[in-house]
Amino acid sequence: MQDLSIFESSDWQGDGMSPPTMTGRKMLRLSLRTWPYMRPMLPHLMVLLAFAFSGALGGMLTWFIGTDLFTNKVLLGQKLQPLQAVVLFLPEEYVVENVGLSDTSELSDEHGSESQDIPTEGQPLSPAGAKGKGKGVGKGEVQDLGDYKPELTDEQRRSVRNRLLIWSVIGGSIMTVVFSVFWYYTTWIWQSINQNLRVAMVERAESLSLRYHDSARVGDAIFRVYQDSAMIINLLQSGIIAPFWALFGIVMGLVIVAAFDPWFSLMVIVVAVPVVWLIVAATPRIRRRALANREANSDLTSRTQEVFAAIKVVKANRAEARVFDRFTYDSAKALDAAYYLRLDVVILTAIVTFLGGSLFLLTEYIMVAWIRVERETFLGAAFAFIIGFTIWNFGALQIARGRVEDLVWGARGMVGIWMRVQDLFVALERAFHLLDIEPEVIEPEDPIPFPKQIDSVTWRDVTFGYKADQQVLSDISLTAQPGTVTAIVGSTGSGKSTLMSLLLRIYDPDSGVVAVNDVNLKDMATDDIRANVSIALQKNVLFNDTVTNNIAFGSAITDQSAIEAAAKISQADGFITEMVKGYQTELGERGGKLSAGQRQRLSIARAVVRDTAILILDEPTASLDARTEQEVLRNLAEWGHDRVIFLITHRLSTIRQADQIALIEDGRVAEIGTHDELMGKDARYAAFVNAEAAGVPS
Amino acid sequence: MSELPDETSLWREIFGRNEFDDRIDTQSDITNLDAFRLLGRCVMLIAEVRGLFAAKFVLQLGLVFPVLLLPWMAKIVVDNVILAQPFGTTEVLYPPFMNPILALVQGREPMDIMLILTTIYFVMLVTIGSRFGGTGASLLDGRDAATQSENATSQGGSEGGSFWGVLEFMVNVRMTQTLANRIRSRLFDRLSRLPMTALDDQRIGDSVYRVLYDAPSAPRLAFDLTFAPFFAALSALLNLYILQYSYGDVAPELIWIAWATVPVAFLTTFPFSGALRRTNQNKRAAGSATTNVMEESISNIAAVQSLGASKQERERFAERSETAFQRERYAIGVIIAASLLNGAALGVAGIYVTILFTDQIIAGSMSPGDFAVIMGVFYGISWPAAYFGAIWIKLQEAVASVRRVFFFIDYDVSEDCGGELKLTGVSSGIRFDGVGFNYPDGHTALRDISLSLEVGQLVALVGPTGAGKTTLAYMVPALLHPSSGRVEIDDVNLREFDIDSVRQQITYVFQEHILLSETIRENLLLANPDATESEMMSALRTAGCMDFVTSLSEGIDTVLGRGGDTLSVGQQQRLCIARGLVRDSSVLILDEPTAALDPQTENQLVASLQAAAANRLVIVIAHRLSTIRHADRIVFLEDGMVRDLGDHETLMASDGPYREFVELQTGEDQ
Repeated sequence: MQDLSIFESSDWQGDGMSPPTMTGRKMLRLSLRTWPYMRPMLPHLMVLLAFAFSGALGGMLTWFIGTDLFTNKVLLGQKLQPLQAVVLFLPEEYVVENVGLSDTSELSDEHGSESQDIPTEGQPLSPAGAKGKGKGVGKGEVQDLGDYKPELTDEQRRSVRNRLLIWSVIGGSIMTVVFSVFWYYTTWIWQSINQNLRVAMVERAESLSLRYHDSARVGDAIFRVYQDSAMIINLLQSGIIAPFWALFGIVMGLVIVAAFDPWFSLMVIVVAVPVVWLIVAATPRIRRRALANREANSDLTSRTQEVFAAIKVVKANRAEARVFDRFTYDSAKALDAAYYLRLDVVILTAIVTFLGGSLFLLTEYIMVAWIRVERETFLGAAFAFIIGFTIWNFGALQIARGRVEDLVWGARGMVGIWMRVQDLFVALERAFHLLDIEPEVIEPEDPIPFPKQIDSVTWRDVTFGYKADQQVLSDISLTAQPGTVTAIVGSTGSGKSTLMSLLLRIYDPDSGVVAVNDVNLKDMATDDIRANVSIALQKNVLFNDTVTNNIAFGSAITDQSAIEAAAKISQADGFITEMVKGYQTELGERGGKLSAGQRQRLSIARAVVRDTAILILDEPTASLDARTEQEVLRNLAEWGHDRVIFLITHRLSTIRQADQIALIEDGRVAEIGTHDELMGKDARYAAFVNAEAAGVPS
Repeated sequence: MSELPDETSLWREIFGRNEFDDRIDTQSDITNLDAFRLLGRCVMLIAEVRGLFAAKFVLQLGLVFPVLLLPWMAKIVVDNVILAQPFGTTEVLYPPFMNPILALVQGREPMDIMLILTTIYFVMLVTIGSRFGGTGASLLDGRDAATQSENATSQGGSEGGSFWGVLEFMVNVRMTQTLANRIRSRLFDRLSRLPMTALDDQRIGDSVYRVLYDAPSAPRLAFDLTFAPFFAALSALLNLYILQYSYGDVAPELIWIAWATVPVAFLTTFPFSGALRRTNQNKRAAGSATTNVMEESISNIAAVQSLGASKQERERFAERSETAFQRERYAIGVIIAASLLNGAALGVAGIYVTILFTDQIIAGSMSPGDFAVIMGVFYGISWPAAYFGAIWIKLQEAVASVRRVFFFIDYDVSEDCGGELKLTGVSSGIRFDGVGFNYPDGHTALRDISLSLEVGQLVALVGPTGAGKTTLAYMVPALLHPSSGRVEIDDVNLREFDIDSVRQQITYVFQEHILLSETIRENLLLANPDATESEMMSALRTAGCMDFVTSLSEGIDTVLGRGGDTLSVGQQQRLCIARGLVRDSSVLILDEPTAALDPQTENQLVASLQAAAANRLVIVIAHRLSTIRHADRIVFLEDGMVRDLGDHETLMASDGPYREFVELQTGEDQ
């Protein structure tokens, strides 16, 4: 197994592809397309948004007040702002005096604290500043070190602290409980939205034409339904809210920093320019890698599914080692794609961090310098009633520096968000691609109900081909009446099964009409048609489910006696009841626990149980031995005597008894008539019969 | 199908073991001992990526120490720059590793100190991204395990940033990926070698789920176990040392509280172990069940549409998907409960510590600058403590999915292994000696079969459906092993041969036409990778494929639709036969090769098989007379026993079951 290297990739092709385009308009369109899946959850989303918004706002406010309270008031012992005292239920004496007036006060030589020899607190503010809203008093005065006097007594500080803690505990507990509930709640919301999209995608996938499915890998559908659709839940949060919130945070940060001093805001903007340019320049590359990552993982899913679906052949051809090699190749490719995508993001983030971090250190230095000279903050005076940041102090530093720090983290976060958003839209595009494919068979606006009483089943001048250049059926015409058996014969690949699939409206004819009672099938709903036309397929597909459920598959029948009656007709009841669990036996993956003959009889039972007026039997007895075949056919003849039955077979014995025989050759009905009539012509049908008879001894 | 009994209570649904689609992996409960064993195995996996592991270890270790400087530098900023106190004015001692910095800054003016500190900060920013650390890149994912697996496979990051962080990131991600790659490849390999009897019970969707969505849990477990605890413990110890050194005299209670947080964190999460594992197993099994439905419906889409079952299948999918989401929520609920308890315990500790040190600050024995250090130190201790608690939660989650992975890695495939002898060709023939076979569910398919088939013969296995023909034929390439008796090739017991070599010499063409959605050429090459162009063409001709292959626009390079659906069933059958013929092996077994063929094609095929049998052993299973009457030998099976043996004329002359069988077929043709 090849090893993954840190620096190189194995056979990496990701750079060769052109980057998927993602214009703003496309992103908008994709976002709008998610609306129908989110709409059912709209009320819940509103609750969520309201909670998030108010929580964040409240959180910020609490953080501001709390920081001031803790650092300036508890740690440094300053007096409280008026509103703070109200919130903590503390009396007047805690509050700072002379709010709004400037005051000079002398530096006190007293130590505010009792028991210490060593002055422990330095003075972060001028004495005037300790009183709150002094306007510029004390500016220019150099601090006298070691003379700091806390304004509140120790008792008072402890009491401030205790109340603050009590509030924290109460607030914290409430928030924790609310947060937990919301964690569960948001999960439920997002899962519901994802579920809506998933089901829509599966529904679409199942109604797409077989032509599409032929060229699409199963793993691709699985990947789109699982991985690509999951991105819808992130659209609101990471695609809309997070960038909005980050931008909001950045703007708020800039405003607050400007409130402290506009120069900082200017510096931030200057640094932001190269950062933004970098992000924009890197975006197409990221998109390309995101798409490559998804495709590689989708391929791996497909590879895995295909091998396990074909495992018998793999075993018999001792190809385990070879498929293993292919798997490890696909696996390594997927891992490389994931690695390089992430590496790009990480390097970009590191560069942005460097730029932002340098800015931060510079501003921190400047702020500290301003504290030393007691420079006034820009707008501090305006908010003095609740926060004490008129001039630069330790608390102001915490806030302002904190904001710059947040700005840097915000920028880093934006890089990450932006990159993830690229991946998100790439994924959404892949998911909606599936929903964009129109099914070939289009349901009519006003479907005509399928007739109860069948008078005729007709193909009229029908032409059809799977591929444009290959016609399977050319201008074929055929009619059948109720109470008749029509045998369809011809060499393999002549179009017999295709003819029948048109009757089920699996495809629509390229030209011509397939009609029941002269009503064009195109005017009927496909579900209706398939509920009224039963088929026993040539490839006897059984599902990993019980016998009962397999027989009832596709019908809504739950009546066990009807199911058993059908099984008796197809001579399946015998072997079913011999099995230990009888009708509740599970049949294994792809029905593997039964022999071919048993599967075939179940398929026939499945067609019979639906009791429809039209029945198609496609090689129904190919795997049955002669005796069983005879019994089954006899039962069917009895059961089906009022119905329209189409029988595709090579068995001469069966063909002979049909009411009409249609020999298909080159996509046309070459000959049609009863056995005797056609033998009389001594043409193709006769040749066919003789070839069959050549194998049979006289 | 999963049918929970109607009386299932919600309690049982959340905490009990739910039944889903698993038929082989039915014992999914994990005891604590099992959990430890699984964890141990995952840790051993680290040996496979030793180099990268060592690099990551060193890189992460290197980050531990610079981080310790930061709170102390912050203290200097507050105390000695902003408050402009001289050094040594508090009782708090700086730890010894701060001495070089202290030497630089002691005695200087405040702004000079700030300049020096800022320079140091800058250097740290550029090299290891200090103060803005954290390197990592994960993509958005969904709300269930399957969608979270992509991130899990490429997990990795660093606490630091800048160059150091990016390097550590690269090492870490590649390490995780390498391990994930190995595990999932190993699992894939094992699943592809399951014995035939197990294949029926193993769902394809489940195999896909385990390989792609369960396997990434193994590296996660391996690293969460070794890295996180180690570094958490290291961080805790270092911070405790600092606490002791600097604050030991001032606040000894801090030390005790710090020590106590670790066991408390563990105790609050341990009781949830069983519930965590159960809910996780359920959620993954539900996810597998959803994948099963999706895979089955889309693979068999033609049948689903023809049988009018689209709506039914969609509803089945919707139901299972909803169940999977629901089980996911239950798992989250348990995690929330455990985390809450853990958080509450640590919150209490945090409050106590806050009260403690604010008292000290108010009393004057600590400076406000110490606040920064205390916060740093306490964080350094409570983070590991919370981590130990959270680790246990994460481990239980991962253990459930790792068990699912190892279940199949450990699955006994000895049935499929053979001996050492290499089979190079079959010269005389195959013999069945008293062979009997019972399926695992008890059904007896074969009883006491004794037969001798020689090379140079065309043998027909005939009989009513369910007689055991396919079962008997499966034994020749050792797809099944007899329950009693033995199979011999050239007088040597089949068991003694290496199975790969046996299947090299014996070709089996299945009744079900399984073709890969690749080109015709690649389908043929799967059977015989060394086939030349002319060999392929000749095989196609013999099987009667040339007419339709030449009519395809790209001929032999035409890509077949998924599952080969671009061809009609008869064409698929002929192609499968061609695939068998291209191997040119000594023994060729064809299971119902003419079922879908028209008489002319069938006759041609039979003639070719007769020619092929000249120097091979060709076994054909059929019940159409036209196919079997030309065989050199006819083996008539009924109810798992050989009832008649001989060629057509001989058997018709006698009055045995074969004659009866033939007359049934021909009687109707008169």
